[in-house]
Amino acid sequence: MRTKNTIIFSLISTFFLIFLVSIWKILATLQGLDIKSLNLEIIFIFGFLTSLAHLGINDKIKTIYKSIIFSLIFVFFDGYLMQKLPLWYNIGVFLILYFYTSKINKYNYESLKEEHSTQVILFDFLTLFGILFFSFVILFPFYMMLVTSFKTQIALLVNPLDFSINFGQDLKDLFKSYFVIFKSYKFGKYILTSTIVSVGTVIITLLFAIPAAYAVARLNFFGKTFLSTSILIIYMFPAIVLVIPLYTIFSQLGLRNSIEGLLIVYTATTLPVAIYMLQGYFKSIPKELEEAAILDKLSWFGIITKIIIPLSIPAISSVALYVFMIAWNEFLFSLMFLDNPNSFTLSRAIQYLSGDAETPRQYLMAGSVIVTLPVLFIFVYFEKYLVSGLTAGSVKG
Amino acid sequence: MANIKFIGIHKSFGSNKIITDFNLLGKEDEFLVLVGPSGCGKSTLLRMIAGLEKIDEGEIFINDQKINELHPSKRQTAMVFQSYALYPHMNVYENMSFGLKIEKRPKDEINAKVMQAAKILKIEELLERKPKQLSGGQRQRVAIGRAITRNPKIFLFDEPLSNLDAALRAEMRVEISKLHKQIKTNMIYVTHDQVEAMTLADRIVILNQGNIEQVGTPEEIYNDPSNIFVAQFIGTPKMNILEINEKNIISENSIKLLGNDIQFGNIKLNKSKHFVGIRSEYLKSNQKSQFTFNPEIELIENLGNEKIAYMKYDEYQLSAKIPSSDEISNTIGFEFKDIFLFDQNGKRVKS
Repeated sequence: MRTKNTIIFSLISTFFLIFLVSIWKILATLQGLDIKSLNLEIIFIFGFLTSLAHLGINDKIKTIYKSIIFSLIFVFFDGYLMQKLPLWYNIGVFLILYFYTSKINKYNYESLKEEHSTQVILFDFLTLFGILFFSFVILFPFYMMLVTSFKTQIALLVNPLDFSINFGQDLKDLFKSYFVIFKSYKFGKYILTSTIVSVGTVIITLLFAIPAAYAVARLNFFGKTFLSTSILIIYMFPAIVLVIPLYTIFSQLGLRNSIEGLLIVYTATTLPVAIYMLQGYFKSIPKELEEAAILDKLSWFGIITKIIIPLSIPAISSVALYVFMIAWNEFLFSLMFLDNPNSFTLSRAIQYLSGDAETPRQYLMAGSVIVTLPVLFIFVYFEKYLVSGLTAGSVKG
Repeated sequence: MANIKFIGIHKSFGSNKIITDFNLLGKEDEFLVLVGPSGCGKSTLLRMIAGLEKIDEGEIFINDQKINELHPSKRQTAMVFQSYALYPHMNVYENMSFGLKIEKRPKDEINAKVMQAAKILKIEELLERKPKQLSGGQRQRVAIGRAITRNPKIFLFDEPLSNLDAALRAEMRVEISKLHKQIKTNMIYVTHDQVEAMTLADRIVILNQGNIEQVGTPEEIYNDPSNIFVAQFIGTPKMNILEINEKNIISENSIKLLGNDIQFGNIKLNKSKHFVGIRSEYLKSNQKSQFTFNPEIELIENLGNEKIAYMKYDEYQLSAKIPSSDEISNTIGFEFKDIFLFDQNGKRVKS
């Protein structure tokens, strides 16, 4: 059992190491996915030996020294094989190896005796792999965006695949793209429009969704079951199907190129989910609370404002966040309904700029960063509410 | 200081009749306990008084004022819920003062009332806490406190103790009893627990399937049950009910029971099925009793201060509650005065 476990452990950890080092190599050298040049067999042999050596040495040497020694040996061999590469590449390899050796450190020869230990190891590394891989997929484009936005036109033309940021230059030059998009491309106005539209959508959606969700959750009225089950029907239609008839209607009503028009469409598309999320939460609030409130001489309106809303802050803020993100990032409707640059939202403005061959790429990327950042900050700040709001009600607290 | 009157109350949910023709007159400052098995309509009745449930038919009067159409808040009742129903986002003080604040009473008055209620319930040091920081017993105290600050004519308790553990329940039971003596207001208390009913009530109303089975003081209910349902509902273990068929009816006023011929005074028995009830605490383990029989003892449960013997005699299953000090022999005895006689419909036959 132990031999089998040892071999499986070494294999899994080695593959994990190969994955890490390969990604680093691809990124650092930008040579594409050429298997041959990755020296996979060297990494494989070394990784395998490292994990075995790790088990052999166990805790005879302090963990930190052990990790450093292993990493140094690997960097030495790897650097020897790929001599052309600069120092920062080798530092990266060293850090990866250090991370890897400290990761495998929690497994020792003793724990491999247990029968299920291979499962534990497999799931451990799968989780790690998942986290690293998907965060890479998501974060890398954002990093690209950020880096490009800090570049000058010349730097971009000389080496478009340079992923480093030159902090040596003047701050004014570093943020030049951002100054330019605000000055020459009126991004301030777009941000204002987007903010008005998004915040407006949030307010209007909540204004309608809270009473509606309360009604669906609590009151008995004709057609209640039909209404509550058909709330989500709107999502059966792709937005592109709705957009064309809406276009004709909005053209005739003169709602194109207006914030009001966008508010109407956005509210209509976010309202169902908002009602759906809120009514689930409202149902989880004990009915006795409202009955106690009735005996306390509260009206229906009072019950909603003084009891339901304060108790539903988590759900309401997660709905608000969701609606804000939808409205802020929405693209299809703004593309169709806005064609006057004076009423552009941010995402529409980016599209407009990218359609223009004259717009330098770094400005485009600076604009993209500006679109992304507010949502990112809001999300990080409200994340705790979002999580508790989405799961609340599933288990009685 | 109120009296409550129910006249011909009917209530049904869909085709499901919960309460049919309920009539009752509550006395002033009375502690009335509605007790019955689950689904008998006792909570519904309470909620109709509070105004949380519509009254289908009939009238309820408080102090001769018809309350059917009154808004719940104007009925001068206060309800204590089983789940406490404290507002989780408010602290104890805010919970207790909320109703008064909605009424826009002056601050001094609110403060005085809350403090007074807190003093009665000994929760003065908890006023700043949120409900989730309180134990079950403390929450129930706060819920009662909230009811007191409303200064109601009638307190309504909807199984207030059933969420508490056994020890706390016994403690709170005493507290509620004391509270009633202290503030002297009408209380209507719903429970399915016969111990709560017996210990708290001035009068007990025993309900079954929306009908009143019997109304009376705890003593009356225990000593003089009007039918088998009431007789079996009060007392643990349940009263032994023995079926007497026509063969065992010897004459108009004597029956054969557990091998004994029993002579009744001035009653007339017809030749039909009857039932005889004997409370298990009246079955004694001695031979000096008026009547004796020799059952087969199947099981003895020792509860410390007493033992419960489960036994069999012919086709009858009986249980007897016997003090621990007594030796259980296989001769069990009972007295004539402890026999309850019921007719074939379960109605009491009195001599």
